[in-house]
Amino acid sequence: MGEAAQDAQYHQAAAEYGAALERLARAYEFDRERRRDLLQEIHLALWRSFALFDGRCSPRTWVYRVAHNAAVSYAVGRRRSGDRNLVSLEEVALTLGDSDGDAAAGRRQALARLTELVQRLKPLDRQVIVSYLEGMDAGSIGEITGLSASNVATKIHRIKTVLARRFSERDPHAE
Amino acid sequence: MPNEPLQDEFRNLWQDQPSENITMSLEEIRAKAGKFQRRIWRRNALEYGAIAIVVIVFGLYLQWFPAPVMRAGSVMIIAGALYVAYQLHRRAASETTPAAAEFEQCLGFHRRALERQREALANIWSWYLGPFIPGLTIFSAGMAMAAPIPFRHRVLAAAIMLAVIGGVFWLVAQMNLRAARKLQIRIDELKSLEQ
Repeated sequence: MGEAAQDAQYHQAAAEYGAALERLARAYEFDRERRRDLLQEIHLALWRSFALFDGRCSPRTWVYRVAHNAAVSYAVGRRRSGDRNLVSLEEVALTLGDSDGDAAAGRRQALARLTELVQRLKPLDRQVIVSYLEGMDAGSIGEITGLSASNVATKIHRIKTVLARRFSERDPHAE
Repeated sequence: MPNEPLQDEFRNLWQDQPSENITMSLEEIRAKAGKFQRRIWRRNALEYGAIAIVVIVFGLYLQWFPAPVMRAGSVMIIAGALYVAYQLHRRAASETTPAAAEFEQCLGFHRRALERQREALANIWSWYLGPFIPGLTIFSAGMAMAAPIPFRHRVLAAAIMLAVIGGVFWLVAQMNLRAARKLQIRIDELKSLEQ
């Protein structure tokens, strides 16, 4: 692939998925400045990756795979001590209470709690929940993560349970 | 059971979060890519440059010192340095980063990279320090033998030189072993992330 085509594909992907990539970076990094660094790493990885893109998967799958991998690489490189406390969806489901009284206190607070929940998850579960929140179906999530359809379905069911219990049955962003 | 409308609300909440509209121009991306390449180049230049200096210096010694023992030591040190260069090249030329690999492959790649680094650090005697030992021992003995001092003093001088070299090598090995132990902690952390 020529450099011009690589640039064009990157431009298109950045325009189409720029906001989603920001959200993905937010799932991996709380600190604003570091998140900006991570996002730059993701954009660099994406631009580089289009030199190798062969169309065997959809551009969306490609973009999310590259972005998640860049985020995992960034986290491995930074070696955050907090990473030792990462938990799986199963563990979150077991340790959560049935509801949080102040969970629906406001949209911003609900978003902060949702982001915190996502950031606490192990990378694979984080990939699944981010993809789910981005509105993807089980098939697309399986393509991105490499998980089987049944595995994705199980995880999505757990995500739904965790979200429902975490935020109770109330509107998550009621003011 | 979780209800579907609520799940849609979570998706909306996530997708509607304010964007900072952080973008990168192609110039910025190329500049960042170039910075990365220069960092790799500097690292390689440092590693191979040090080996080149050893080869040049002991190559000159071959000309300057007529004593056969010192010349033999110089040849062995040059051979050791070239072997270390080969090992550095072999260990650096590993898998390429999987840009769009699936999760398990991506995490596995990082774990294997760390494991290779750990092995290299833990086995520093066999591929980095060890190859220099025969040459340095022979060269040091040759230097002491060539000195115009009594035999007993020559033996003492050789022993002191070898002790200093041994001490430095031991320190280098200890630092590398410590780094290997730290890497093991990171490897264990990565393993815990694999499900």
